[in-house]
This record gives sequence, structure tokens and C-alpha cells, in this order.
Amino acid sequence: MGRLLVACGVLAAAWVADSASACPSCASPLEENRQAFVDTTIFLTVVPLTLIGGLIWWIRRRVRAMEDSPEIAVPDSILGDAGPFSKGR
Amino acid sequence: MPDDALGRPYGVPVRREPVVPNGVLGMLMFVATEIMFFSGLISAFVIGKSNAIGGWPPPGQPRLPVEETALNTAALLASGVVLFLANRAFKNDAPNTKRLLAISIALGGFFVLFQGAEWVALIGEGLTLTSGQLGGFFYLLVGAHALHVVAGFIILLYTYRRLSHHELDRFTFWPAQIFWYFVVGVWPILYWQVYL
Repeated sequence: MGRLLVACGVLAAAWVADSASACPSCASPLEENRQAFVDTTIFLTVVPLTLIGGLIWWIRRRVRAMEDSPEIAVPDSILGDAGPFSKGR
Repeated sequence: MPDDALGRPYGVPVRREPVVPNGVLGMLMFVATEIMFFSGLISAFVIGKSNAIGGWPPPGQPRLPVEETALNTAALLASGVVLFLANRAFKNDAPNTKRLLAISIALGGFFVLFQGAEWVALIGEGLTLTSGQLGGFFYLLVGAHALHVVAGFIILLYTYRRLSHHELDRFTFWPAQIFWYFVVGVWPILYWQVYL
């Protein structure tokens, strides 16, 4: 019974709801301007997700590649105190 | 021979190379924020352009030099390609690394000088930061990019100096390249949006 009431409430809300403009400029009379808002909203949403996702994917790929490759054994006499990065290439 | 806690024989060090070198990771994060910075500027420009009464570019404003800047764009793109070749030569210890890096820097310098000359001409024609929406957006977007090109140019000069002194390692060269590829990569988008 409770679920039915909730379902009826949701349906009623969906029935009476109208579209809402989330920003004052979205109601611009210029169609090109409205479209520009939509396009830039999509653009600014997708770009950071792509950047963060791409970085995580790339790091994960490198971790897997390093796990698969055999370790390099470098004698301490060559390595010294400075470590491999000072030799660097 | 006794083994250590991980079962490796003593005296054989483990590889200490990080998954991603600190400089590379730092530069990637910095470039990511820069991409968002330019994305914000480009978005503002797209909305400003779409809101202009009387079309874009606004009437009565100087025209931007499309053909000349296309040549300059080609120079910057070539600079990126030559830097890529320089990196390949560097990895193979090839003797032409220095020459390729010098060509890449020279092409970047050409871009900066050419753009400076273009700005002088445009200011002479009356396009200033306060002359209208076109001038405001033009100097903001192209000026922000020009600052990055100058910064990248200085970084490449620094890498060239280190290469000349045989002090350049890949952990210094990679971040410099990432920044320059960003500078090169963002320019065609700006050219397409602002000039065309």
C-alpha cells in the first residue's frame, strides 16, 4: 500500500512538473545563444572527467606493465648513493 | 646467499624507478588544470560570440589576419613535431638531438615574434583590449596562450642548456615536452574559434 502511494505520488509529480531553466541566461531569446549554453555545459562536464579518467587509465596501464616486466638487478657498486635517476637515461 | 623479506637475494637492489616520475605526474596535473582554464575561456568566448547582436565578428572592428596566422600555426605545429623527433633521437642517443631541439625552439621563437608583430599591427588598426568584445576576447584568449608559449620557450631553452652540458635526463625532458605539446595542441583550437 505504501509503495503504491509513493508510485502515485511520483507519477503525479511527473505529470504536473514543467521544465525549469537552471540559469537566467538559458532563457535567452537567441536560439544560437541557448545552444551555446548547452554545448559549453556538455563540454565543461566531459573535459574534466576525460582528463581524470585518462590519467587514471594511463597510470593503471603503467602499473600493470611494470608488474609484468622482470626487475632489473643493478649492483650497488654501480648504483652508488645517488640512485638510478642520476644516471638517468 | 640469504634472502631478504621478499625472497630476493641480498645485494641485488630492487628497481627504484617510479610508476610515473614525479616531474611527469606534476606536469600532467598542471596541464590538466591549464586545459580547464582554457576550456573556461573558450566557453566564455563561444557564449559571448553567440550573444553578439549584428553577427560575429562585430561590424566596424578590424579583421583578424587569418592567412598569416595559418602560417604561424603551421610553424608551431612543426615545432611540436620536431620536438617529438628530438625526443626519439634523445632516446636513441643520436647525435642530432641537439640540432632538432634547436630547430623546435627556433620555430617556437618564430611563433612568438610573428604574433608580436601581428599584435602591433592590430593595435595600430584600433583593436585594443577595450575597443569591444572582439578585442577583449582576442587579447584574453590569445594573450593567455602567448604567455604559455613564452613560458614553454624558456623551459625548452633550459632543456637545451642542460643538453649542451650533458646534464639532461629524461625526467627533465619529459615534463618540458608535455608542456610544449599542450601549448602546441591548444593553439589550433584557439585559431579555429577566434580567427575562423
